[in-house]
Amino acid sequence: MIATLIVVAFYVGVVAYSAAATLFFVELARPERTPGAPRWAARALAVGVAMELLPIAVDLSDASEVPSIKFALMLCSMSIAVGYLVLRVRMRIDAIGVVVAPLSLALLVGAQFLTARGPATDFPHTLLLMHVAANVLGVGFFLLAGAAGGFYLFQERRLKAKRAPSMQGRLPPLEALDMTEHRLLLAGFPLLTFGIVSGAVFAARLGSMTSAGLARSAFAYATWLLVAGVLILRAVAGWRGRRSAYGTLAGVVCVVLVVGIYVVAGGGGL
Amino acid sequence: MIVVVGLSHRTAPIHVRERLALPADTVPELLRTIVTGPIGEALIVSTCNRVELVVAGTEGARSNLTEVALAATAAIVSRAPGVEGHLYAHTGAEAVRHLFRVAASLDSLVLGEPQILGQLKDAYDLARDTGTAAGVLNRVIPRAIRSAKRVRSETTIGVGQVSVPTVAVDLTRQIFRDLSRHTVALVGSGEMGEGVARLLRQAGARLIVVGRNMERVAHLAQAMGGEGRSLAELDKTLVEADVIVTTTSAPGYIIDAKEVQKHRKARKGRNLFFIDLAVPRDVDPAVGELDSVFLYNVDDLSNVVAESLQSRQREAERAEAIVVEETESYERWAEAEQVTPTIVALRERIRAILESEVDRSLGGKLKHLGPNDREALMVMMEAALNKMLHPATAGLRRLATDPTSRGELEQAVSALHFLFELSTTHDASPHDSDPQASMVDLRDDDAALSLTSDAAGRTESPGSTKAGLPGRMGR
Repeated sequence: MIATLIVVAFYVGVVAYSAAATLFFVELARPERTPGAPRWAARALAVGVAMELLPIAVDLSDASEVPSIKFALMLCSMSIAVGYLVLRVRMRIDAIGVVVAPLSLALLVGAQFLTARGPATDFPHTLLLMHVAANVLGVGFFLLAGAAGGFYLFQERRLKAKRAPSMQGRLPPLEALDMTEHRLLLAGFPLLTFGIVSGAVFAARLGSMTSAGLARSAFAYATWLLVAGVLILRAVAGWRGRRSAYGTLAGVVCVVLVVGIYVVAGGGGL
Repeated sequence: MIVVVGLSHRTAPIHVRERLALPADTVPELLRTIVTGPIGEALIVSTCNRVELVVAGTEGARSNLTEVALAATAAIVSRAPGVEGHLYAHTGAEAVRHLFRVAASLDSLVLGEPQILGQLKDAYDLARDTGTAAGVLNRVIPRAIRSAKRVRSETTIGVGQVSVPTVAVDLTRQIFRDLSRHTVALVGSGEMGEGVARLLRQAGARLIVVGRNMERVAHLAQAMGGEGRSLAELDKTLVEADVIVTTTSAPGYIIDAKEVQKHRKARKGRNLFFIDLAVPRDVDPAVGELDSVFLYNVDDLSNVVAESLQSRQREAERAEAIVVEETESYERWAEAEQVTPTIVALRERIRAILESEVDRSLGGKLKHLGPNDREALMVMMEAALNKMLHPATAGLRRLATDPTSRGELEQAVSALHFLFELSTTHDASPHDSDPQASMVDLRDDDAALSLTSDAAGRTESPGSTKAGLPGRMGR
């Protein structure tokens, strides 16, 4: 029964994320702003999130297993969508939905093909879950921050180029993009810190580490350093806007490499 | 059909248009005054760029449009003597096309501006509330509004800003999220600069007015609800303000890149937007190269305006095609509607005969039939009625929509009236005053047959009838 419900939830989730992606794209491509389209897109995104809750809850309830990459990717997909929906309430960032919805969809669908679990360990299940959840949420927030940074650079370039503001009008204001990116980094940074520290403890207890594991750790540390640098320079030297966006995008590249290595090499906990 | 008489920015300068300016509270009374004699319905579109009287005759499609146009002209001239030479009049199909173009903002001073559609809707609501919009206007105005909406949704004629101040404000909104959290500085005084600053102030921004002449600065600051500062405090302003509108008459740059760079740390990297409206320019172009700083001068803003206008001009051709299509569609619909009273009368006549015969049979030889059989009999009768009338209905509609078959149509309608002894009791059409009913596409047989309508056998062509009017009348 539960298995059937999970399958149904998966298909409904795919439809909802696809609908959201289409609506966000149509809104961006239309010559005039239509307030209804982003609202319906956000609702479709929320439906997608709701559909991911069941399989995630089932995975969480299974205390006997180390969380799988499928669980991690679904959590990541959901956290990106939730993060966006929360920020959207206060900021004019509808255009970022064009990235968020397809990303959540890709992670949800991709998760179905990845079922590998980490090696059996004697670590407490709750601690493992916290480690995985922190990393996954952090990755989700950083990817979202990267999307905001990308949009910032695009919008800034158009404004500097002094083009007619036909499409610019539907992109979020620079300030909103900058604040969104900053808040996501602030939210993701403690999670990433916890994930790295707990990951280091687990790695030390496991003993030897594969070359993929080493590379993954190196990129995770690089991400941490880059994000820390972006946050510190913003606070101390007023590095906002373009500089902050470049730093964030560099951090996102490292995050993508960490996830990529994990997906390709598999297992081992994030 | 309708008549449109009026003047606009195309035919009358502002001092003439001012003479016809109508305070909103006087319009209902004026409408009631106008609806007299040959004028049966009236609506007034009054904006700063046009005053137009849209009227229909008391006899609907059979009205003498020349007579209606003369009466409408007289109504306008009596209110503002001397404007005759600036008036234009459109009648019949030409008037419909003009109205559709006005609604679609193709006749506006600023092509594609959105206000005119709202103004037309308001004028229509007012006329309906006053009771001066009925059958004809209830058909044509909703079609004009629908046509305008189609133009806006299928073209980009309304996209982009078309004046320097609005472009400047639009760009500001693309940089800053909430203007009420930001400070705007107006450096110098100039009409365009004040216009931009006023719009930004209205959007909630805090305003600082900076200038050499403190008396003038204080006066301007007070008038605009801002704070006045001397030019000596420009450094402090460069740190505080996020949008700086410059419009001084200084012969050289008053703000250079070094100065802006110097305040970067104090500004903590906040975006800074310069709107340089001065000629010669106030802000060194190198400022625009700095990180987090945006600089638009008059030429940049004018280029954006020109791009928007060019784009609108290109879209106008597509919009005109839509208007032509919608006008023709309306005309076909209106023409087809002429035969609706005859079709309705014919249907009622035949149904009455059939029902009478069926009732007699059900009371006699078919008395034994149960409720189900009786119901089946009625359904069969209705189906037979539809099939029987279909060729006549289709033929009449075909003739009605073909301008070359006017004579044949009249003969056919007369023949039907004679052969079936059709009554003409449908002249007073209940749906005339219902705009929803009037929007039903009467080309659909079933819909047509379910309606009653106005005068049967209209004889006047819905095509244009030029009024022999003085001055610029008849375009």
